[in-house]
Amino acid sequence: MMRALLRRVTPLVRVGEKIGLLDHIPPGLPEGAPRPRHTFRWDLDKTYLRTEFDSIVDLAKSAIETAADKQAYPGATALLRALRQDGNRICIVSGSPTQMRQVLAAKLALDGVEYDEFVLKNNLKNILRGRFRSLRAQIPYKLPAMLRSRIGAPAEHETLFGDDAEADAIIYCLYADLLAQRVSTDVLERVLVASRAYEDDAARILELARTVPKEDAVTRMFIHLDRRSPPLGYRRFGPRLVPVFNYFQAALVLYQDKVLSARQVIFVALEMLDSGQYELGHLATSVQDIIRRGRVTREVALQLSEDASEAAKSGALSGRTDLPPFEQIAQSFRQRVRELGVIDAPPPTDEPLDYVRLVDEEHEHRRTRRKHGMS
Amino acid sequence: MHRIVVDAMGGDHAPDEIVQGAAEASLQLASAEIILVGDSAAVGRVLPRLRHDGARVRVHHAPTRVEMDEKPAEALAAKPDASIAVAVDLVARGEGDALVSAGNTGASVLACARRWPMLDGIRRAALAAVYPTELRRGEKDDPFSLILDVGATIDATAEDLVGFAVMGSAYAKLVSGNRRPRVALLSNGTEAGKGPPEVVAAHAALVATTELNFIGNIEGLDIPRGVADVVVTTGFVGNVVLKMLEGVSETVVRLARYAHKERLAWRLGLVALSSAIDQLKAITDWQQYGGAPLLGFRYPFIKAHGRSNARAVTNAIKVAHKALAGNLAANIARTMGELDERASRRAQGVTT
Repeated sequence: MMRALLRRVTPLVRVGEKIGLLDHIPPGLPEGAPRPRHTFRWDLDKTYLRTEFDSIVDLAKSAIETAADKQAYPGATALLRALRQDGNRICIVSGSPTQMRQVLAAKLALDGVEYDEFVLKNNLKNILRGRFRSLRAQIPYKLPAMLRSRIGAPAEHETLFGDDAEADAIIYCLYADLLAQRVSTDVLERVLVASRAYEDDAARILELARTVPKEDAVTRMFIHLDRRSPPLGYRRFGPRLVPVFNYFQAALVLYQDKVLSARQVIFVALEMLDSGQYELGHLATSVQDIIRRGRVTREVALQLSEDASEAAKSGALSGRTDLPPFEQIAQSFRQRVRELGVIDAPPPTDEPLDYVRLVDEEHEHRRTRRKHGMS
Repeated sequence: MHRIVVDAMGGDHAPDEIVQGAAEASLQLASAEIILVGDSAAVGRVLPRLRHDGARVRVHHAPTRVEMDEKPAEALAAKPDASIAVAVDLVARGEGDALVSAGNTGASVLACARRWPMLDGIRRAALAAVYPTELRRGEKDDPFSLILDVGATIDATAEDLVGFAVMGSAYAKLVSGNRRPRVALLSNGTEAGKGPPEVVAAHAALVATTELNFIGNIEGLDIPRGVADVVVTTGFVGNVVLKMLEGVSETVVRLARYAHKERLAWRLGLVALSSAIDQLKAITDWQQYGGAPLLGFRYPFIKAHGRSNARAVTNAIKVAHKALAGNLAANIARTMGELDERASRRAQGVTT
């Protein structure tokens, strides 16, 4: 409350936030505003932005890149724009340092991506306080940021987007299970110990978890397979979490969830084609892949083909002389689905997660990667 | 984008090692799409366990397979929906650009011969094989030489042998990065007049009408020495030579094992030589080569070894990709066209 007041009265707070001495607290909903229907939470690096930080050189390069140099993954911008419609909220929580706010905000502006919250990691504060564990910490940073955001604006539904570079799958599931009251305080405490959170940070997180409005709100989570991790590794997180190789696959799942229309899926596809990194064949193969993994049904894919055909007739592809007629595209997609033959994908497990073990495994995995010279 | 069709069910270690090799290739070859042909349920069980690019590996269902020990013609007749038949058909229908298989060689060659058109100017196909030699070659210091034909065409004519020489040279240029591969005919003497009539006639034609780096005839003992980069012979002789080279190599390994067991002094000798043996192993590691091509058809076909593991399959896919990227088929056809033109000009010159 006091901070909010200070923010209004003094520009010094903004300067403090900009240089990283003060945390940026998302403002939440204005008084009297209706409850948001859907919040989409996005990570930035390796989820929205193609960022390399596998080596010191990569890190340095990423730090000095301009907004224009930064590249979004094909389809991500179109997807974010589509999700922003209908009064939905876009909340970005990134592990990038606060000092990069200006360039990252400029990149999002260049892409025409609007957002409601944009939280970055205050690593300068961590260094000044001698909290070096916090520099690499994932759960003690992201989880409270998400809880705080939800306390400020609790939406009916939430969809989360992360990647396979770090612990996003664990954090997102933990967050979802906390909201749905499937994780006890005792378990959360043990998870925070396992994730090496500082005591006062842990106490704050426990308090946030206690006060956050409880609801089974997280309906879907996407893990962008930037490292091309084996998708089977994500089966244990249950059917709500879908690993995707690209944003066309995410759009297909969201179409199945009735969050996106066929027209919006087309726009995601067009952006991917325009990037020059994907051809129609890649998109058709992406459809086949997500069906083969049992994350989208054949029926939905065929329905999309029909709906997309209607959207194409009503002008979704107008002016696209570089593409074959839509019926030809739809035919090749249907053919790809038919080629698939028998599907024998085991359904994702829907058992409670052992978060302490997951965190321990993640630390072990990170140690191994460091040992082998990877970030 | 190059679409490489892979017979997922062919080979001693199919589908696991084949799928794994294809998955790795999807990460290494950004401009390729890998089409895995085989039992989609079996492939679908393996693929999600592996790092791969889901937008670049597609599965085409084929419910049956030709086993390694089946008779090719009978197997293909009984199983028209076998993975190799479906894979060959996909390429023939223009849904793929090249084929890789570690499966039954006879069935693969027969399926291609039935469905794929020959390259302009080529009458018969040649199956090539690579073998390690003493000398290295090309910009990549390639330790492998190419021998063709090793079994696709049993009785080749002089004209066929010339075609094999052109195809082998074009392949060595592209895959080994060897700008002017030394091409030789296998015979029972180095003199131009030595050998059966088709070899003598081929020798004359290669000297007179081609611009290949033709070094003449070589004898069997020159093969492992690496005197030639491309050795041209009939399928019958090539197959005998290849089997003999494999047999000699296996015997040497068995003798070394025997020595290792028999006497301590021999064992110590082998230990002392171990780094040299390791080097030799690295040189003769066929898995790094991936596979050998079936040349003469309009589409590249890389035949991987039946015992191929994932690494060999990845490399075979990379060779297929290289053949497509380097327009191997078009280069061969162009050279054959030039050769025909030169031959007809010579004929006109003689008559006028």
